[in-house]
Amino acid sequence: MSNSHEFGFFRLLVRNLSNRSYRNIATIFVFAFIAATLFSSQYLMNGAQASLDTGMSRMGADILVVPEEYAAAGQTVILSGQPSSFFFNDSSYEKISRIPGVAKASPQIYIATLFASCCAAPLQMIAIDPENDFTISTWLKENPGVKLGKDDIIIGSAVIQDVGNDLPFYGHTFHVVGILKQTGMGVDNSVFTRFEDAYVMADESELKAVKKLTIPPRMVSAVLVKVDPGTSPSAVAREIQDQIPGTKTITPNGLLNTVSGQLGAVRRLLNGTTLAVTIVSIPLLAFISAMVAHERRREIAILRALGATKTYVVRLMLAESFSIAIIGSLIGIGGAMVVLVFFQDFIATSLKIPFIIPSPLALLVDGGTALFLCAGIGGIASLYPAILINRSEPYETIRKGES
Amino acid sequence: MPSDKMTQGIGALLVLLGIIIILTPWVIFPVCEVHDIYMVLQSGVKMPMPCGWTARAETGIGALIVVAGGLLLARKTPETKQAVGVFSIAAGVLVILFPTVIIGMCKLADHPCRQLTLPALEILGAAVIIIGGYLLWKRE
Repeated sequence: MSNSHEFGFFRLLVRNLSNRSYRNIATIFVFAFIAATLFSSQYLMNGAQASLDTGMSRMGADILVVPEEYAAAGQTVILSGQPSSFFFNDSSYEKISRIPGVAKASPQIYIATLFASCCAAPLQMIAIDPENDFTISTWLKENPGVKLGKDDIIIGSAVIQDVGNDLPFYGHTFHVVGILKQTGMGVDNSVFTRFEDAYVMADESELKAVKKLTIPPRMVSAVLVKVDPGTSPSAVAREIQDQIPGTKTITPNGLLNTVSGQLGAVRRLLNGTTLAVTIVSIPLLAFISAMVAHERRREIAILRALGATKTYVVRLMLAESFSIAIIGSLIGIGGAMVVLVFFQDFIATSLKIPFIIPSPLALLVDGGTALFLCAGIGGIASLYPAILINRSEPYETIRKGES
Repeated sequence: MPSDKMTQGIGALLVLLGIIIILTPWVIFPVCEVHDIYMVLQSGVKMPMPCGWTARAETGIGALIVVAGGLLLARKTPETKQAVGVFSIAAGVLVILFPTVIIGMCKLADHPCRQLTLPALEILGAAVIIIGGYLLWKRE
């Protein structure tokens, strides 16, 4: 008995949906649009956040100290890997190491490589001191067979070369010994080498390269800082800026603010659109539901006359509405995801943000939120007409319909 | 079994997709050479990059998809549906394989062919495969 009742409910539901296919398709489209815009907004922010987390953990630093006048260039190097060369006196590095709260400091030299031909774009070369470094050291620990020896380089995931092959920079040939995992940040477009090899490359560049490279002695481009456990990176960053004039500190939070700012306009647009569509669609959908309910007075009255309870009718109408909302949301989320995943590189480049595909959990939360909101809108829009139709007397409705 | 109207619609959709595939690398999301990015040989001769050759191949495949769609518009027999279905699957696979495996695109991530043409062709190829699969499924 119970089984036949359940079968009847779902069969009725499917029949009701397919009977008004054109109207339902239009409603599905509205839900798809709401879900797609909402999902896209969340996806972009989570993708940027995931990229920042991966990139910062790859960098291994809590603070990056750069010359004050090159703060913007420093941020660009980290976020997008846009090649840049700048220097400040390495005595600052020693001073930074002595500041309370600084657990470890590691200097780096940034060298913008040359643009040679179509397939050798300028890259950011980062020279490190393997003894003090903690950017590559974590990766080296994970790959115990790899050592950064003479003329060896470790490349970012976006650099086109395989392990074991050579890559020339400023006429000096380097040997690729490792490829880092994708982070969506500047590290992907970077090449890591040792200080010694960078100086040799610079010395040789006058003879071997089309343009001479100069790395001023006793100068570094940036100092990466790891703070003591339990110490606030922002407090240490302030202390560094106070004690060493002419320096600027970059922290993960600061980078996140920058990215949020860059994403702000797009998010505002997407959220605004979602809000506008939601505000317009609730009364519109309620009106459509009321119209459908009005059309179906006799059908509902016959159902009631055949023994269907008021709850059954409300359940049926809500189920129809939820089904349309869920189908629309799934189409919207699916469509948005295809576009966002396939055009990921274009979106990241256009918005100038670091970006990778968010974690499956974040995707589930984003999709779930959009689905929940759409189901909520569908429920709200159909609840009142469902209650209203239930108030009418079946006998009266059937009689009026016949007259 | 899809009705004649439905088959006609699928044929028209295939024609439309074929035209979009032809236009994508040249007009909608142009490849590098349309942006005047060429490979310059030591002799100074300008050569199209891999994406240019892929664009030419896609033009050919797109034209064949248009013909297949036209065939379905003209003849709606189960045999035609089966033949067009199989061909569409193969053509869709090629639409995806030309820019990814067979010829490829430019290797640099910031080139327009990688950012826009490649994903667009992948989506279009997948759409052609799905239509081909549907035609095969509902061939009778």
